[in-house]
Amino acid sequence: MKNSPRVNNRGDRGTSFDAVGGTARLMFYSLLAISLMALDYRGQYVDRIRAVSGYVVEPMLWAVDLPFSGVERFASVWRDRAETQRRIRELERELVRARARLGRVPDLETENAQLRAVLETARRTEQEFIAAELASIDLDPFAHRLMVRRGRADGIRPGMPVIDARGVLGQVEQVFSRLSQVILISDPDHALPVQILPGGERTIAYGSGTLDRLRLTDLPMNASAEPGDLVVTSGIGGRFAPGLPVARIESIRRQPGQAFATADAMPLAAMDRNRLVLILKAENDPFTEPGGDGPSEEDAIDPHDETVTENESGAEDAAAPDAGDGP
Amino acid sequence: MNRTSSMKPALTVLAAIALALVPMPDALDPWRPYWAALVMIYWHLETSRLQQLGTAFVIGIALDLTTGTLLGQHALGLVIINFLVGRFRNRLRFFPPWQQALAVGALLFNDRIVQLWIIGLLERGWPDWTWWLPPLIGMLLWPWIFLLLDALRSQRRTVR
Repeated sequence: MKNSPRVNNRGDRGTSFDAVGGTARLMFYSLLAISLMALDYRGQYVDRIRAVSGYVVEPMLWAVDLPFSGVERFASVWRDRAETQRRIRELERELVRARARLGRVPDLETENAQLRAVLETARRTEQEFIAAELASIDLDPFAHRLMVRRGRADGIRPGMPVIDARGVLGQVEQVFSRLSQVILISDPDHALPVQILPGGERTIAYGSGTLDRLRLTDLPMNASAEPGDLVVTSGIGGRFAPGLPVARIESIRRQPGQAFATADAMPLAAMDRNRLVLILKAENDPFTEPGGDGPSEEDAIDPHDETVTENESGAEDAAAPDAGDGP
Repeated sequence: MNRTSSMKPALTVLAAIALALVPMPDALDPWRPYWAALVMIYWHLETSRLQQLGTAFVIGIALDLTTGTLLGQHALGLVIINFLVGRFRNRLRFFPPWQQALAVGALLFNDRIVQLWIIGLLERGWPDWTWWLPPLIGMLLWPWIFLLLDALRSQRRTVR
């Protein structure tokens, strides 16, 4: 757009002429990129850019996904009849087995409700969910994000928890009209308030940057947690319902001289091997009782600013974990 | 040579961004070359079309927004690549193909180091050896991409 590139275009000696301006421009754009990264990492101001860019980005993603979803649909139409019937039979059998296993749940639920009534605690909220297929889009492997084929049109909102059949997967980060992006709990930016069972210690599970590991920091030194213990969501922060399975403790380190013990946990969810995930509808839950223990969902934790309200655990744990900012 | 000719670089860059998103089997995923960089280098070398650092920045931002990386991560990488290409353009142009491929490989390798630095700062886990595959693949693919894009470019000339 300026003259210098033109000069560069014609003459072969253009570069030496352009060197000073080129370096200046390199500095300018590098600084711009670095400051954008810093802002994005801090989770400030850049959300708007991402939101606005959605209108351009989504058609692009849609165009990449379309042939694959089309082929899937086509394949399902033309799938062999015998194959389909075999699949139906298989699923029916699975359903019966699952029903049998769930048969005891209503009974336990009423019992639980009675016990909770006795204890005068709020009733557990019933969870509604939306099943979502993964889109055929490969995001950056170091980004710890997934793309699912559900969006604003399906009632998805940022912050909704995402689970699979085994455990918590992450939460919705960015919503387009028919696609949305999910941040995994293994992302280093993600902090999840959890509780270790059966000990009951509350802490925060941070992503480690690798798919098969979470970092539990700030455990009290005398925590009773052992390898193999279950890690569930604690419900503090209000975004995730309490009691969702998250991970299993793999190892715990109590280094002398340190104020807190740390633990590594293996997520239960099949982080990158799912085809179908469930998005929990947390808002407008008809079962939520006003005045219950659930804080409002709107001002709960954001994946970027890890301000987790830890007001309850302070009294119980000797050392309340301080959910500070990221590095 | 003005309006219609700028369509092709734009379309190929779009295709390159799409290729970055197309799902691949897990085993092949680490082998995915840095398509956007290869395409950009070609146009810059041969036609000086995408030579503006600003263009590289915009392509990078587009890539960041679509692949879900930190905003500016690819932008920084592409700006640096484009700067280096501009710096050595006159020499690179007259290299024989294999030597040019080596130079492109070096550029991509350098970009990988920049990306590694960013990922390291973010504490996103240390990548394994497959991290260094894309520059290698890019280098091996370069002559073919060069020929392909050359054919694409000259096609216009004969048509018009």
